[in-house]
Amino acid sequence: MSEAEDRSENLRMLRDSAAAIAPRTGDLKRIRELRFSEPGFDRGVWREICAMGWPGLRLAEDKGGSGLGMAEFCALTEELGAALTPEPLIPVAMAASLLPADQLSAVLAGDRIVIPAWQEKPNSFDLNGATTLSGGKLSGRKMFVPMAAGADAFLVTVQGGLALVERSTPGVSVHLEQTQDGGHFGTVSFDGASAEAVAGDATEALEEATLATSAYLLGVMDRAFAMTLDYMKTRQQFGRTIGSFQALQHRAVDLKIQVSLTRASVEAAAVTMDTSTHPALRKSAVSRAKARAAEGAMIVTKQCIQLSGGIGYTDAYDVGLFLRKAMVMAPLFGPAALHRARYAVVTPEDDDE
Amino acid sequence: MNELSRVGMPDDYNTQDDTSFRLMVRGWVEANYPPDIRNPPKRLHWAENKPWYFKLAEKGWLAPSWPREYGGMGLSAAKQMILIEEFERHGCARTNDHGIVMVGPLLIQHGTEAQRQHYLPKILSGETIWCQGYSEPNAGSDLASLRTEAVLDGDEYVINGQKIWTTLAQDANWIFCLVRTDKTAKKQEGISFLLIPMDTPGITVRPIITIDMHDEFCETFFDNVRVPAANLVGQVNKGWTMAKALLGFERIFIGAPKQSQYALARLKQLASRMGVWEDVEFQDRYTRLRMDIADLRDLHQVYVNIVRRGEALGPDVSQLKIWQTELFQRITELSLEIAGENGALLDPMEGNRELHPSGLYLQARPATIYGGSNEIQRNIVAKNVLELPDK
Repeated sequence: MSEAEDRSENLRMLRDSAAAIAPRTGDLKRIRELRFSEPGFDRGVWREICAMGWPGLRLAEDKGGSGLGMAEFCALTEELGAALTPEPLIPVAMAASLLPADQLSAVLAGDRIVIPAWQEKPNSFDLNGATTLSGGKLSGRKMFVPMAAGADAFLVTVQGGLALVERSTPGVSVHLEQTQDGGHFGTVSFDGASAEAVAGDATEALEEATLATSAYLLGVMDRAFAMTLDYMKTRQQFGRTIGSFQALQHRAVDLKIQVSLTRASVEAAAVTMDTSTHPALRKSAVSRAKARAAEGAMIVTKQCIQLSGGIGYTDAYDVGLFLRKAMVMAPLFGPAALHRARYAVVTPEDDDE
Repeated sequence: MNELSRVGMPDDYNTQDDTSFRLMVRGWVEANYPPDIRNPPKRLHWAENKPWYFKLAEKGWLAPSWPREYGGMGLSAAKQMILIEEFERHGCARTNDHGIVMVGPLLIQHGTEAQRQHYLPKILSGETIWCQGYSEPNAGSDLASLRTEAVLDGDEYVINGQKIWTTLAQDANWIFCLVRTDKTAKKQEGISFLLIPMDTPGITVRPIITIDMHDEFCETFFDNVRVPAANLVGQVNKGWTMAKALLGFERIFIGAPKQSQYALARLKQLASRMGVWEDVEFQDRYTRLRMDIADLRDLHQVYVNIVRRGEALGPDVSQLKIWQTELFQRITELSLEIAGENGALLDPMEGNRELHPSGLYLQARPATIYGGSNEIQRNIVAKNVLELPDK
């Protein structure tokens, strides 16, 4: 077998192994039960995820990871998206890539959940904020921290580096706001809380988390579309299957094209991340994938509601869960408009031809 | 150069590694392609593209897909893709290539040895220039309902009917036609392939002037046209199956990003000329188009890789055609919008053929019609990829 065949075989096996935790078929009972609860995910399932080695998938083997590429990580987060998995793999993997070696084992084992807190304002992709670590005391405020209620500690971007702070430390306050998917964002305020400085820079970790989120959105749109196709093949009106109507067929094809473009864009970006060290090319690929995935997932899931008719508007019918997940994930790590603007700035002009 | 000095015998390149093959092609194209016909905005006539046709013929590079025993390059699918990519990269014009792309493969697969020996060398030498007689006034998207009929009379077929959209028929001296040879069979099962010399009495060619004032297409009329029965290719009434098989991997070229990239480059020039780069709304729309092309490139590459592996393309390749052609149109629409009154001009702005937003806009219109209209492509994807029901 060639190296490429080996790799695609490994990707297939990785996707298959994801099915135990993130099935592409079946009911979404577990997902529904966790909605609007705290912390919004299942620590038991999180331990299973850790037992599979997923938070350390990208980490080097000498750090206890598997040393795999973005192609593998994206294949995995796509599967999680298709199953609407709420467990915070993308944030924890991002934290794991930044934590010092002595902090890693508890995180990779699932005993301790560390969530990055990097954002200080909406519509932002900027790691430069006002939060400071001075004399071991952390001051500032971070927003849109996903699954903050489940965090044991936060890895906070500060001027000049990073800081690790326990959630239970005095001076840390977490204000939760529920999100449409049944999860929540935390606004985390630090008022002179004791924290430990961590050397490093989150720039690359942020790029990887952004691309992994794009792949998650790909999974969301792909499964919502598959569900809707099934509905179109069974629902009868006017004595016909509604999927036989040409107006609906053509709309379905346009959604298929969005899914295909997103897949091509995400998978090509993963290859770029795995093979190129050119900073502009990497940023350009990530921004393009995120812009397409964010916009494509919204287009597809919104149309899935329309194609499902009245039942698509009910909370009881699953397709709505996918739209509401897309509404949460599309703006995370920068919405489509932000990434288009960044693409325009970073992409070399001669890249067009 | 107007005449061919000799038909070259191609080397066997399949043993060469891809990178050195690519660089060799690039170097040869740069040294040999006629500079005055780079990136032509319209399809060129034979008189304009034949210097390039003859260059390729002399080099032995005219027929990349044909086996070497018939004077082709016998290239692997992967090497063919490289050759085409390099031609496109340099902005090489399409030649009157129906003989190479369609007739050659048809005869090699389905013709008799006598037919191959008779027709193939004349294609390679440029002695015969072919056009394609498929569409009819009442058989466009529904091609299988074609009615031009060929009736056997002794050892001759007598052909009556009309073809339309025969590309560059006025340049051609032969036409390959789908004709109805059995009116009683199911529509796909009464169709045959016939080869017809254009100078046969009873054939009339009338160019069609398109809305962009070009004469690329023609109507071709057949009035009691008689050809020998030996001009039939393959089995009688099996033409439809042969025609479908001929589509092969050519279907991905119509979905290649080249056309949209060309239009975007023109939009960029026009934007500078019109001074709209500071307009934030324009910037966002321009960036969207750029990203749409880049995503198209990635999706196109997925299909190129399938071809490279030597696998067959599935019906899902149609989505590439839909996205590419509609993207091409969106680019020309934005160009027309920013051009303002200049978008009304019949001729290029300031005599610069690269600043012709109205021309490009009109030229983009048929992209969603030809090669199977986009509505037909959507039907194909709905039925054969999404497996949506008929009723």
